[in-house]
Amino acid sequence: MRSLKPWAGLAVLLACLGALAAAFQPPPAPTRWVTDTVGFLSEPTRRSLDARLQRYEQDTGRQVLVWIGSTPGEVPLEEWAVRTFEAWGIGRKGRDDGAAVFVFAQARRLRIEVGYGLEPVVPDAIASRIIEEEALPRLRAGEPDAAVSATVDSLLRTLGGESSPPPGAGTEVHPRPELTLGQMLLYGVLALVVLVFVITHPRLAFYLLLQLLSSGGGRRHGGGSGGTFRGGGGRSGGGGASGSW
Amino acid sequence: MGKWLGLGVIALLLILGVAGVGAYNSLVSLDQAVLSQWGQVENVYQRRMDLVPNLVATVKGAASFEKETLTQVIEARAKASQTTLTADRELFEDPAAFQQFQQAQQNLSNALSRLLVTVERYPELRATENFRELQAQLEGTENRIAVERMRFNEAAQAFNTRRNSFPTVLFASFFGGRFTEKAYFQAQQGADVAPKVQF
Repeated sequence: MRSLKPWAGLAVLLACLGALAAAFQPPPAPTRWVTDTVGFLSEPTRRSLDARLQRYEQDTGRQVLVWIGSTPGEVPLEEWAVRTFEAWGIGRKGRDDGAAVFVFAQARRLRIEVGYGLEPVVPDAIASRIIEEEALPRLRAGEPDAAVSATVDSLLRTLGGESSPPPGAGTEVHPRPELTLGQMLLYGVLALVVLVFVITHPRLAFYLLLQLLSSGGGRRHGGGSGGTFRGGGGRSGGGGASGSW
Repeated sequence: MGKWLGLGVIALLLILGVAGVGAYNSLVSLDQAVLSQWGQVENVYQRRMDLVPNLVATVKGAASFEKETLTQVIEARAKASQTTLTADRELFEDPAAFQQFQQAQQNLSNALSRLLVTVERYPELRATENFRELQAQLEGTENRIAVERMRFNEAAQAFNTRRNSFPTVLFASFFGGRFTEKAYFQAQQGADVAPKVQF
């Protein structure tokens, strides 16, 4: 009988742990870099921030997300953030180089959550300063657009690596490098081969073209204006800072 | 008849062998996951211990700060750093050692939160850049500790569940001390209650 007791205790503990883990359901993973589920931001701000963060991922590979909801519910904000971060897989797997800004409009709280790999770049003290100095004053003044923009701006400046001057700059046209004679020759030969192929096997060429288009569209990830956000499997370990207004 | 029996025995042995290898390998990988997660737990606790001297130095500068609160923090830190000298495996496989480790860290948590509550009475200290930064670091570290403890419990749970489920449980005891059950972090009594300070 005595040997049964620890087993019973373990069973109860396991059940509790299981219930605890099952109790929290992170929201569905977002498809955009900036997701506003409660209409906190104005549409132009949301769109420009979204484009900026998308471009940032293209340039540096680092995923930075903004997600706005009403309240974290019964879970503490910090636990909500770390579990959601892991569920969405923000940042690349192994590098864990993602970051997220979570804003809860109704609970009037926000958190910057920093992936493991970015902890040396954005230490807690810096994250806390961004919240205290950029976000909170503007949120208290009732300027959500300015608050979120300034937070993202300051976060990206801390992270570094942003190529083009960000807001409203539009898409920058990179000058095409001049073709050398060898390259021109190569492209010419290739074009000729393709042309011959299209003439001799028009149906096969058409089929291949369709295949190429559909697979290209499906595989596109983070690129172009139509790209969607997809988590890379990164994790955070509770780094960052929180604040309430 | 005898031929069929022999074949049957061989088949049974083969199945058992394959199942045993599978069970062994899965236990090894889950065991490694627990071990590496324990490394993370120790990391974040170490991070907190590294912050303490800085915090003490900053707070000491404030005039007429309670000596006793500071001494408690320093002592708790010294005790906590002693327990980390124990080998990793011993810590989370021996419930008594685990309990001791957890208790020492909890004492440091308590001493630190008492210190922070006392600091509330020194607005000029709280306003300094240095202290605010330390406080942000300390909060972040406490949060990391909570996260890594949670992940350790998840890893330990995965290991223990596999170890104690059928048929792995038959093989696990066969390897003796190689696959002992892992301990869990438990929420501390009173951890959710802020310490009281008499004014």
